[in-house]
Amino acid sequence: MKRNKTMHSLGRGLLSFFMNAALILFSLTCIFPIIWMGYSSLKEKRAFNADIIGLPKKPSLVNYSRILSNPDYHLSESMLNSVRTTALSIVFIIVFSFVVGYILARVSFRLNRVLYAMFLLGMLIPVHSLLVPIYVVFRNCGISNQWFTLIFPYVSFGLPMGIFLMEGYVKGIPVSLEEAAAIDGSSFSYTMWYIIMPICKPILVTIGIIQVFACWNEFSFALVLIKDVTLQTVPLALTQFRGQFASDYPKQMAAMLITMSPIVILYFAFSKQIIKGMITGAVKE
Amino acid sequence: MLHAIRPKRNIIILYLLIPTALFLFTVFVPLVTALGYSVFEWKGGPVKTFTGLTNYVTLLHDETFWLAFQHNIYLVVACIIGQIGIAFILVMMVGSKFVRLKGIHRTFGFFPSTISAVCIGLIWSIIYHNQYGIINWFFKAIGKPELCRVWLNETDLVMLLVSIPLIWQYIGYYMVIILSAISSINEELYESAEIDGASGVQKACYITLPLIKNIIMVCITLCIAGNMKAFDSIFVMTKGGPGKASMVMAMYGYQISLNQNNMGYGSCISVGIFVLSLLVIAGSQAFIKFLTHEKEI
Amino acid sequence: MKKKVFGGLLLAAVLLAGCGGKDTGSTYQESDFSASSEGSIVYMGELEIMHYSTSEESEGNGGSDGFRTVLAQWAEAHPDITLTQNILANAEYKTQIATLAAADDLPDVFFLQGMNTIDWAKQGLIYDLTEDIKSSPYAQDYNEAYFNPFMVGDKIYGYPALTGGTCTVVIYDKAMWKEAGYDRFPSTWEEVEKAAEYFQAQGVIPVAFGNGGKWQANSCFLSTLANRYTGPDWFLSLVAKDGAAFTDPEFVSALTEMQRLFHQTDIFNVDFNAVTNEDAREYYISGDAAAFIGGNWDESYIWAMLKDSDPEKFDHMGFAVLPQPADAKMAPNSQNIGLGYAVAINAKLADDPAKLEAAIDLAEYVTGPAFANYVTANYALGGLTKAAQVDLSAFDQITQDFYNWSYVDTEECEIYDSYITNAVWDVLNTDLQTMLNGDISPEEVAANAQAAYEANYSKE
Repeated sequence: MKRNKTMHSLGRGLLSFFMNAALILFSLTCIFPIIWMGYSSLKEKRAFNADIIGLPKKPSLVNYSRILSNPDYHLSESMLNSVRTTALSIVFIIVFSFVVGYILARVSFRLNRVLYAMFLLGMLIPVHSLLVPIYVVFRNCGISNQWFTLIFPYVSFGLPMGIFLMEGYVKGIPVSLEEAAAIDGSSFSYTMWYIIMPICKPILVTIGIIQVFACWNEFSFALVLIKDVTLQTVPLALTQFRGQFASDYPKQMAAMLITMSPIVILYFAFSKQIIKGMITGAVKE
Repeated sequence: MLHAIRPKRNIIILYLLIPTALFLFTVFVPLVTALGYSVFEWKGGPVKTFTGLTNYVTLLHDETFWLAFQHNIYLVVACIIGQIGIAFILVMMVGSKFVRLKGIHRTFGFFPSTISAVCIGLIWSIIYHNQYGIINWFFKAIGKPELCRVWLNETDLVMLLVSIPLIWQYIGYYMVIILSAISSINEELYESAEIDGASGVQKACYITLPLIKNIIMVCITLCIAGNMKAFDSIFVMTKGGPGKASMVMAMYGYQISLNQNNMGYGSCISVGIFVLSLLVIAGSQAFIKFLTHEKEI
Repeated sequence: MKKKVFGGLLLAAVLLAGCGGKDTGSTYQESDFSASSEGSIVYMGELEIMHYSTSEESEGNGGSDGFRTVLAQWAEAHPDITLTQNILANAEYKTQIATLAAADDLPDVFFLQGMNTIDWAKQGLIYDLTEDIKSSPYAQDYNEAYFNPFMVGDKIYGYPALTGGTCTVVIYDKAMWKEAGYDRFPSTWEEVEKAAEYFQAQGVIPVAFGNGGKWQANSCFLSTLANRYTGPDWFLSLVAKDGAAFTDPEFVSALTEMQRLFHQTDIFNVDFNAVTNEDAREYYISGDAAAFIGGNWDESYIWAMLKDSDPEKFDHMGFAVLPQPADAKMAPNSQNIGLGYAVAINAKLADDPAKLEAAIDLAEYVTGPAFANYVTANYALGGLTKAAQVDLSAFDQITQDFYNWSYVDTEECEIYDSYITNAVWDVLNTDLQTMLNGDISPEEVAANAQAAYEANYSKE
């Protein structure tokens, strides 16, 4: 009996070791690229080509200074454009996803499933081969090449996933909550905003982070719908690195790190809250 | 559905109006426009020639398009198994009481999803690089240089090689979705199961999985939708090459529209992608329903 | 001795000039040519130009640097006109301009790629410049042949822009080839194959090439190699739809030879199909490869890189034409050279004669003598207009060699993808990549290209 127990705890120990090891390995592969990009961007091209994995022997910030000092990239302007576009898009995506997702999950009306299917179809649109029609439609309506232009596609193409996740989530919430609220005399809107929304915090945070990165990194719409250099977003402004200097990997990495930095810093700074937001707020029946 | 409170119709319309209008305008108007273009021979510019269904007939016989379709299906299957499967296992492991550093795993695991596809493509093309690449460096380091390959030039392997970065990138994405779904499961359920002596695997299979079935379906649909229109990182890594060995549908449509200036046929391809994605999703839903139904009996 | 004198001269020149590029000390002087058109332009307001000469691109690249310089001069000379520049890197430029063309919304002035000329002219998107070019103040200086890719029948749709340069040059390290027993780069592929054995034994790539972008095998190899089999008339006939076909035996022989060279010999780097030309030229710069095949843009990059970092290897740079295949009978000394882009004008400007006049003035200025003189004086490169007199002695030996190789010592042939339509080249390029891996036959490649040609290309 005792022996059996030690075997059991040994097995547990092994299992725990194995699981921890596997997860640590996984986390390392996830984080390695940015670390590697970080120190590689401090190398000169020659040093990088000679040894891609080693640490830089003579680290220098020359790649960064050359990018940041080049007025053609108008980085501060494009950062501002990216921040504004992303922030506004996220607000709209979250609010719209919540409202539409909730209504589609809870309220029965004739067009409910039609509407749901329609939003779902939005995920299937092959954006890259539809760039020309999108441009034509936007231009004909006079809304291409404006400061707010990109918010339209970012919100619209972010909505399907948001609504989809939201609807699925709300369906998991017991109806009894709302029924109880209704008995207490709560109106539909009040119930939605003040009772359901807090419960949905995890999924809203999830939608938010997924979409923040999608908007920040988006490239194709920004390329096609924006002509004015002062309206370019960061990913577009930094494309000028490719072409002539495409093989200068350290410099490209520096450019990418600059592109990513605001959002990545934000992510790591708030990761605790984000993760907490994602996993708390569970429904207690 | 909610029966206790019946909201007024006007309120519902009011809430739905703006998002629906916006969505219809940005997503469906271009799609309908493309549908219109697809019945023309149109090389861009103001001149169009109506050709009826000619483009669609061409599409049905276009070997490249159907090859690309097969590649998309390959991606879908690889990513459902790779992304959602691995994500589920990882979430279960992170949730286990044996595991430390939970916060770090959750934070880091999502990290690849934050990197732009262009950047992912670049990172992995360096990893696969013949001369500078990490894989070949590794084989040389362990004294097996004969295993070195020009990875992205291997016609038979290239689809697998381009799907690995995709899987790697999106594991974190599905992890957060599954994680948020699991957070809504009542802790007491696990506690009572534990008292009954259920193992971790049993808990995952018999409690968690059935309870988050909805969200897993959502994930599968998201995964299919995403991979039927895959484009960016493959474009950066191989441009669909060698030859057409890693060509996917969206890339073919892009190539026809913008490289070959054949907008009419390119629009027809977009419509084709849309319809095929729809069929694959419908098929997968039916298939899963069939499977779960079987199980219940 | 000669070299030493040069060194001194060069040092003096660098000290004098102190600005980027292939400086020579012949400090650029504000051109007189701008005066010819000034005063006559009445247009006031906005003028939009789209191009891909980014500041990044212009470092060490004579064409981009020259274009940016003369464009700035023109803008300064016309303060009443607000010149809006939309600058994107080349790949993004191509995507955006194709979208704009499809939507019939092109900018006022832009860069037209040769292979789009016929399609866009047919659509009425680009302004017919035939008369304006004839009456241009620089008409007598124009190098007529450069207009060919931008002509439909006898109508001309653009002012060829940037620098005229080769698309296929063999850049080799003289010292490395000397060690292998060759005083100069071999003139036949048989010899290159023999040399390849030597280099492979040393662990050196004999010749580096990058076809990862799929267009390189066509632009920087086939275009010249096939000319050795077909001669120049075949391609002209193909362009004119005069009977030539991709399935002609001469062209198929060229494809067959190309497949043999890449697939069956050890001449090239094994990853030629997976790396771009930018990667492949790094093999040369780092000494991993003894030679490299690419275009003038690669030459200017290698030039600039080696000059700073490896003066010895810099001095060993040699230039050669593509070697001659054993069974080819034509033009052994040929290389494809030309101007791939032209400054074109939106056809809609015809409704606004004053704006049109300004646009034409701009196009003439940025492709005219001001540009040619700048790039000649600073980079020893040529533009659309014949350069006055090139004082080569002020340049380093390598620049002189490349100038002579490009413009004096070799025969010209056409760059395939400056003509016809990309609907054909896109099909051919994709198949070429597969063919170089040995996965489809040259006959099949030729047949597919011919089918695309028949379906997508007509002169009318």
